[in-house]
Amino acid sequence: MTANATTRRLRVHRYKRGDSSPRIEEHDVPADEHTTVLEALRWIQLNLDPTLGLRHSCFHASCGTCGVRVNGRERLACVTMLSDVPGTVTVDPIANLPVLHDLAVDMEPFYARFPDPHPIVRDSELVPDAVPPGTAQHERFEDCIECGLCLSACPVAATDGTYVGPAALAYAQRLLDEPRGADRDAILAWADQDTAAWRCHAAFECTEACPSDVRPAQRIMALRRELRHRRTEQGREVPEQPTEAVSP
Amino acid sequence: MATSSAPAAARSRSWRWTAITGVALLVLVTIHMVAHHFVVDEIGGLRTYEHVLEYIATPIIFVIEGVFLVVVTVHTMLGLRSVLRDFGLSGRWSRLLERGLIALGVVTVAYGIVLIGILASRA
Amino acid sequence: MSERGLRPERDPGVEEILRGRGRQGPVSRKAPGPVAWFDLRGRGTGHLAFSLHRITGLGIAFYLYLHLAVLSMLLGGEDSWNGFLELATTPLFLGLDVLLVFGLLFHGLNGTRLSLVGSGYVPNRQKALFWSFMALGAILLVYSAVHVFTAGD
Repeated sequence: MTANATTRRLRVHRYKRGDSSPRIEEHDVPADEHTTVLEALRWIQLNLDPTLGLRHSCFHASCGTCGVRVNGRERLACVTMLSDVPGTVTVDPIANLPVLHDLAVDMEPFYARFPDPHPIVRDSELVPDAVPPGTAQHERFEDCIECGLCLSACPVAATDGTYVGPAALAYAQRLLDEPRGADRDAILAWADQDTAAWRCHAAFECTEACPSDVRPAQRIMALRRELRHRRTEQGREVPEQPTEAVSP
Repeated sequence: MATSSAPAAARSRSWRWTAITGVALLVLVTIHMVAHHFVVDEIGGLRTYEHVLEYIATPIIFVIEGVFLVVVTVHTMLGLRSVLRDFGLSGRWSRLLERGLIALGVVTVAYGIVLIGILASRA
Repeated sequence: MSERGLRPERDPGVEEILRGRGRQGPVSRKAPGPVAWFDLRGRGTGHLAFSLHRITGLGIAFYLYLHLAVLSMLLGGEDSWNGFLELATTPLFLGLDVLLVFGLLFHGLNGTRLSLVGSGYVPNRQKALFWSFMALGAILLVYSAVHVFTAGD
């Protein structure tokens, strides 16, 4: 602890299975100018209350595990410094996903929104043999760390649980950019729905919240541009069937 | 793979038509506002009773106002539908509300056309 | 995994997960239901635009019916309409007119931005577009407000 040590008050969302409703617990935590929200939470866990449940892993904003809301804004706890947060620090779990306990949410509905195949491996990457020479074909640089901050920030997801959300749509758009054998038509058909690309109201909150430069809102608009082109193309061709069937 | 139950192009119809009617309204609302409030030099630009009837009885005006009413009602119903969709309601309720909106839209246009029709006939 | 591939519909199990059935635990939200649409704490410009667009939209929708009701007064003849005209020229009413103009301008200009950006036309300049439209709107609003209060003088 440096000479700039102070005490910060944290208000932490607490909830355990079986509780009738969540509650807020206040703790005074020692901090200096570099202490992060995650460090403060772990201090509480280690010194005051071992029952505090939270998720974290890498400590450097690359795993996407420690997403929380700090004073209402979506942040990664591991890189959010208390010195950047004025006043009392309220820590809540990310929104729009069921709370499992305290600050940990159930990420399954987050992943359920994604189009298949997901989460990580695409068809081209399922290799039956041993690792082939040159691993370049298995490298894919994706910014998305699947932290869920975008879904938490989205005003549509706040009220509509059927909206697939920014992460899933951004993922679909990345697949279009780099299909590697994925079926582009199927991706576009998946996106061309009221619960998908057309539900976004362009609040751009997802892009604001994203800690990883995914820019999901811009990707959703790029997806719409693709859908628009696809519609114009279909308009020019004579359709063989009246309805658009997705072939297996 | 499951096949889609509705034409893929049809599913994005409502957003597209909200945008199209919206852009049309940029023109129509401007015409309407200018014609009603920036032409007549009265307070608020409002016409007297006689002037209103004279105005609405003019054929080209009648048509433009009629088209305006239809477009604004379509845009409003689509907008309300979008707000309702954001509630994430189950299929049965959302279908019911959509039918309600269609009915409301039809009644609105019908009432409006009849209203200006009656007024035009009195000029 | 590869057999299922990409599907335009979700399978029922996924639908259940998304609707929260079988899931225990409350969902943490900043505000209940649609209140979240209008809660701007900690939110950026984009959310403000979304909120205002929704409020002005609902306001104008309400106004549509108010307007039809007012126009129906014409059916009552000249006296009925003159009664309305007297009310319509009071300062309070004129003030509400300016509010209406604000609503129309915001909704129309922001809606133009939504149509452009939302069709994928101007993806990277949307904040600049928003503020330019707001500047244009402010100018038109001031002009309209002056006209509303001085016309007929």
